[in-house]
Amino acid sequence: MVTLSRRKSSTTRYFTSSRFLSRRQTIMADYQEAPLASRPKTLDPSEYFNLSAEKRRADEDRAAIRANLKRQYQTQLNDPHRKALVDDPALTRWVYARANPYPFFRPTFKTSLLGAMFGVVPLVVLYYVFKTDRDRKEAMIKAGTLERKFCLSS
Amino acid sequence: MRTSQSVRQQQPVNMAGVGFLRWAQALPKRKGSGIAGLLSGARAASGPSKDTILGPFPTTPEERAAAAKKYNMKVEDYEPYPDKGEGFGDYPKLPDRSQHERDPWYQWDHPDLRRNWGEPMHWDFDMFIRNRVDTSPTLLSWSSMCKQLFGSLGFILLMFYLGEIFPFYQAVAPKQYPYNNLYLERGGDPEKQPEEVKNYVI
Repeated sequence: MVTLSRRKSSTTRYFTSSRFLSRRQTIMADYQEAPLASRPKTLDPSEYFNLSAEKRRADEDRAAIRANLKRQYQTQLNDPHRKALVDDPALTRWVYARANPYPFFRPTFKTSLLGAMFGVVPLVVLYYVFKTDRDRKEAMIKAGTLERKFCLSS
Repeated sequence: MRTSQSVRQQQPVNMAGVGFLRWAQALPKRKGSGIAGLLSGARAASGPSKDTILGPFPTTPEERAAAAKKYNMKVEDYEPYPDKGEGFGDYPKLPDRSQHERDPWYQWDHPDLRRNWGEPMHWDFDMFIRNRVDTSPTLLSWSSMCKQLFGSLGFILLMFYLGEIFPFYQAVAPKQYPYNNLYLERGGDPEKQPEEVKNYVI
């Protein structure tokens, strides 16, 4: 005499019901990646949904560029007459870009603030901190209130 | 006449002076202001060529296409850093993903860096190498990690604090000295009889 009691809520409830998931399991929609970390590829919805021919073509174009670069590199690498290193123009560009940002620098609010915060403020603050501390110590020595133990570290 | 001309040509002339004079004459015609106006805009021919150096922020679609081609990227993928005067120029903004995340089994041209030759490098590439910052997916959730770290640190600090308030150590008493608390050694009068000091209880 088993009566099937269909609870109305179970038919309308979403799959995120805790009856089907133990405490440790998470489903793809619930997974929250840590800040600044990435999502595992198996949990990336773009791998499963929105797959179109354009995306396929774009991937093929990227693969073509990559294959061309690989061909160039392997040709130079296996050249029997090559005596020098194989230059990497991407590396040259990167090094040049990192070393020469000055032509594109513009004083804006943000850049000025950063410059002031990291360049000017530490100098000024440290000057005042050290000066007041040492003046106070000097005054105490002159007044004779400073306890000067014989101690190797200050 | 001819001899005097050749003699004049052979007179030594200070090229530094000549260079300075030319620079001073060209100075009012310069466009930039401040230090940019004093420096020369030309680069030595021994340096990198125009297509390998950083260019200005691309504004037109043609500039974008040219920049994408320069960096070996598709035009759709190419995205420069926003032009906020921070010095990036037209360098592409690649996703902030560390080299830890790249496939360890693929045949990279440089396996230790997990990078192929000619591939555009991230601006912070030296930060994302495999010895340094790792952005791969974490094993635990952020909340779990925070709870574990701050929970254990907090507990340790709490115990230290309680240990300061309620110190627990072996019971000690002040040091006891013999001979009436060292009466003679402390400069007591040898003629006088010191008071008896009893440091024990039986």
